[in-house]
Amino acid sequence: MLVVSLNSEKKINQKLENSVLVSLDSVKKTYEDGKISVRALRGIDLKIAEGEFTTVYGPSGSGKTTLLNLIGALDKPSEGQVKINGSIINELDRNGLALLRRDNIGFVFQSYNLIPVLTAYENVEFALKISSSNNGNPVRNSKERSAQILEQVGLGDMLDRRPNELSGGQKQRVAIARALVKEPRLVLADEPTANLDSKTSKEVLEIMLEMNSKLKTTFIFSTHDPMVMEYAGRLLEIRDGKITREERR
Amino acid sequence: MYLSKIALRNLFRRSGRTLIIAGVLAFAIFFAIILETFMAGMMEMSFSNIIDFDSAHLQIARPELFADNEDPLDHLFTPTEEVLTEIEKLPGFVATTPVLDFSANMLAGREEYPVRVRAAAPASFKEVFRYQDYLIEGDFLQAGDSGLVIGMNLAEILDLQVGDFYTLLFREEGGSLNTIQGEILGIAATPEPGMNLGTVIIDQSFAASALGVSSSEINQLKVKMTDRHSAVARSESLEKQLTGSLAKDFQVNSWRDVSDMLVAMEVWGQLETYFIVALILLVGAIGIINVVVLSSLERVEEIGMMKAMGLSEKQIVKIFSIEASGLGVIGGLIGAGLGAVGTYLLVNIGFDLQLLYGDITLELGIPILGTIYGVWKPQSFIIFFTLAVTVALISSLIPSYWAARKDPVDAIYHR
Repeated sequence: MLVVSLNSEKKINQKLENSVLVSLDSVKKTYEDGKISVRALRGIDLKIAEGEFTTVYGPSGSGKTTLLNLIGALDKPSEGQVKINGSIINELDRNGLALLRRDNIGFVFQSYNLIPVLTAYENVEFALKISSSNNGNPVRNSKERSAQILEQVGLGDMLDRRPNELSGGQKQRVAIARALVKEPRLVLADEPTANLDSKTSKEVLEIMLEMNSKLKTTFIFSTHDPMVMEYAGRLLEIRDGKITREERR
Repeated sequence: MYLSKIALRNLFRRSGRTLIIAGVLAFAIFFAIILETFMAGMMEMSFSNIIDFDSAHLQIARPELFADNEDPLDHLFTPTEEVLTEIEKLPGFVATTPVLDFSANMLAGREEYPVRVRAAAPASFKEVFRYQDYLIEGDFLQAGDSGLVIGMNLAEILDLQVGDFYTLLFREEGGSLNTIQGEILGIAATPEPGMNLGTVIIDQSFAASALGVSSSEINQLKVKMTDRHSAVARSESLEKQLTGSLAKDFQVNSWRDVSDMLVAMEVWGQLETYFIVALILLVGAIGIINVVVLSSLERVEEIGMMKAMGLSEKQIVKIFSIEASGLGVIGGLIGAGLGAVGTYLLVNIGFDLQLLYGDITLELGIPILGTIYGVWKPQSFIIFFTLAVTVALISSLIPSYWAARKDPVDAIYHR
């Protein structure tokens, strides 16, 4: 019986190993602020498999955003190794990091960060065009795909609206559509519901969950919001730069 | 495509700021075009006046005359048939006239004024010069007249009118003092202020007898050509021909050789224009640097997001550079438009220097009187427009790189 259990755990671990998208190995991050050193992450070991819907939670200043920035290849660790889709980000230069982000990662931020001079539709299509302009492979049906994804997030009738003509929830839906349109393997969302009311938060989370199940996109959230935690398939609590609790659902 | 779209829309995001900077550039372009038009017009008129009233297109004389203008009577010659034939064979030849210039003092009552006396053959003089077209009183010379045609400024200074008597006090070829006396036949007001004051015209045969020289002896041959630009090249070939095959000791100067000061003024004028334009463009460039820095500070989260999405630094620089070039294009177009209107007015209505500054042209030595008309210079529109766009583009590069190199994390969270 014990032998059987050990074997099945081995198989699960092997399967997880094969499908690991993000891997952090003894990662530390220290910020220098004048003469003061701030240790934001103090040794993180973490593996996230493809298709996971993970939420990182913890108090302010615990290191959630720093962790997401490292996973998003926006920053490099001070110590340890971060591997995303097989690429070790420690070894990449600024252009290499930009390419990694472009080809693999979508971002959703608390403050939406939409380009104000572009319409909802253009904001989404722009994400697709960046990929095509950089790698020289034109994206097929970019117009249809952009319109379709906005339709999917419930903004089919607001394609031509500029960000200043949209509500907070609508802006966040555009940001989600923008993150998802290029069908990235990983979507990082830093407190995506922080500026939204509970009804809108729920709608936004439902959309992301639907995309997770449909497209098998890996989602990693950072949040304070208990509602976001309810949706998570895997919960990671982070305190003082360390993962202090992990729960799978 | 999207980079240009973002850049151009950003250009109108702060339309007030865009218009101010574009306005500075537009002013620089407008100012440069107008100044070029004005200077070109002034030079064109100056050269025309020198040619039409003083030098003609070509002047042929003994080399010593050009080297030492102190006593022109020392350098006389008689033009032979073969010299005249050689001149007439020149492509673009129109007419030639003999001239005998000498210095004298003009006396009228108690007043005395130093003048250049130009002894001319009236018939051919009219074919080469336009002096006779600008008579405001009296008549032009006839062959054999003992009278004198003078300019209006000299007439004012010496209080002379047509019919009044004059005395010219001069030194003969031998050195002794002599006088010529006669009647004022005509008064001219030419557009060349120098001719209105310091030069008087007298009949050549009458002057020759007074001077005690042969009536065929002169010190210059003036030649009118069809085109002033080709005349410069013709002067060299004619001189080679006269000194070479005819073995005559002559020097042939073109109108440009005797306009040294104007040519220098033209060059300095251009340098001055470029200097002023450079100063204004510098202000524009500082404005553009300011705009790009302000825009990048305002749009720091946007830049962060673009970097997060995978936009390269080069692409971000491109956005800001297109934006700055757009500023240059707007400024350049407004400036060129205003410049076209200003040039049209300068060409058709002109600008009366005397209204503003009185007789300053005389003091400055600019051979123009009254209204100066501009000249269309299409190349200056192209040059200054290109300059505005280039300055805008270049001045945006450093702040654009500064913006593009921002750390994405710092940019996204606006640290």
